[in-house]
Amino acid sequence: MNLSHRLLHVFVRNLVSYKRFVVTTFIASLVQPLFYLVTFGIGMGAYMGHFGGRSYLFFLVPGILITSVMMTSTFECLYGTFVKMIHERLYDALIATPVSAEDAIAGDILWASFRGLISGGLMMAVAAAMGIFPVSVLSFVLLVFVMAFIGILFASLAMIVTSFAPNFDFFNYYTELVITPMLFFSGVFFPLDNFPGWMKTMAQFMPLTHAVAISRAVYSGVYPRRVLFNIAVGLVLGLTAFVVGVGRMRKRLIK
Amino acid sequence: MKTIIRAEGLTKKYGDFTAVDGISFEIREGECFGFLGPNGAGKTTTVRMIHGVSPVTSGTLIVNGRRADIKNRALKALTGVIPQEITLDIDLTVRENLLVFARFFDIPRREAKSRIGELLKFVELEAKRDSKIGELSTGMKRRLLVARALLNRPLFIVADEPTTGLDPQARHLIWQRLRQLKARGTTLILTTQYMEEAQQLCDRLVIMYGGKILKEGAPNGLIEAEIGREVVEIRIAPDRDASLVAALSTLACGHERVGDTLYFYCRDGSAIRRRIVELDLPNTVHRPATLEDVFLKLTGRSLIE
Repeated sequence: MNLSHRLLHVFVRNLVSYKRFVVTTFIASLVQPLFYLVTFGIGMGAYMGHFGGRSYLFFLVPGILITSVMMTSTFECLYGTFVKMIHERLYDALIATPVSAEDAIAGDILWASFRGLISGGLMMAVAAAMGIFPVSVLSFVLLVFVMAFIGILFASLAMIVTSFAPNFDFFNYYTELVITPMLFFSGVFFPLDNFPGWMKTMAQFMPLTHAVAISRAVYSGVYPRRVLFNIAVGLVLGLTAFVVGVGRMRKRLIK
Repeated sequence: MKTIIRAEGLTKKYGDFTAVDGISFEIREGECFGFLGPNGAGKTTTVRMIHGVSPVTSGTLIVNGRRADIKNRALKALTGVIPQEITLDIDLTVRENLLVFARFFDIPRREAKSRIGELLKFVELEAKRDSKIGELSTGMKRRLLVARALLNRPLFIVADEPTTGLDPQARHLIWQRLRQLKARGTTLILTTQYMEEAQQLCDRLVIMYGGKILKEGAPNGLIEAEIGREVVEIRIAPDRDASLVAALSTLACGHERVGDTLYFYCRDGSAIRRRIVELDLPNTVHRPATLEDVFLKLTGRSLIE
């Protein structure tokens, strides 16, 4: 893989262009998770009693956090990258400079992860305003790393989809058939314990399941032994998706 | 003069389709070298291999003493590219476009800033430095692409159809700038389908068609060798061809019938012209031969699709 420090130049390019959209994206990335937090957290939470001795919100927040990271980084590498590749022909200009195709794609994945981190950070701020904090400063710091890595994972998965996409409509398959179901079957809103066995098995194949489990463990400072498995799956999946995503996109960019 | 680019048997295939079919050429330092041909002739594919964004399928391609390769960052640092498509960053302003691009070449920020000032002056876009790309005319966008291609003080510039879609004023401004660069000693590699552009700018050129090089030479040399100096066009029904050719062909070096027109190619058209007046033919045109005649003679005057 032909990577160099120049991937940071691509990151900076995105940062320079981002300053025009900051406010819009802040609002956009806040609204949906905020709705979940309010409707499920406060509305439904009132009927839920306590989860493991704490309020339902404490269960919900780490899941919503990581979901918003997933959403933002996914959309950035679907629509954002597609526009840059097809409509703006930005990559064509990039690969004619010492920036390689791999640098360009990796820079975009890093950028999408950063965008995810911002979304997650905003959610954390909202949760804090509702009185829900990570258990310790260490837990907060670790959570930032988890969000950044999960951002890279979902950005890379989205890159793989983008590398195949003939047009915008193609992304609907991914968002409707993969992303949305994950939202409901990955233990974001309720524990998976009461699902039938086959559904539990299915959930293990969803990257979000592992991301939520890691996030929840770090947030609460309670690490069940199983979280090691989640971390291992996350790492393997993240690295594989990164390598495949960059490789597939390179194939699309270099002809 | 030093040869900076040398191709031998250069070939590019996309699956079963051969876009560039075993071509050989040399480009020398300081000259303007043109690839002339219709759409789909393989011009753009050839220059994309030269500046290292498209891998070579087979054959040799040496650029500045090294094999052209898409992984060769050093080669890309030496190249300036004026692309066919407008690949400006539409989210950024004119100045930001250049600043971000300078970063891709690892040009230090202070140096980049002074360079950008010079370049905006060179392409007459100083007044637009803080405009968004969407606010520029096509001509201004093309000029900005020229400035962008010069940021890294390239050893050679690849201009891929740099004036497509421009009005005459904008086109002439681009030509002037390209000639100015050449005067400073920059090597220019130009692809174009405009014969006039090739004639205006190129020292030497190749005519490409169907992935192959049909002819190579200096524009005027090619015209002289292939056509002569002048062309006489007679719009007339084909049933008179035999008698006209009998009457005129001794005065010309060649003739050709295409559609409604009979063409006579000659070194000196005055004799033919006198005969035409004697024959009292209406609808005739007598003009200097151009690269377009060479091109059409080589590729056939029928529509290429």
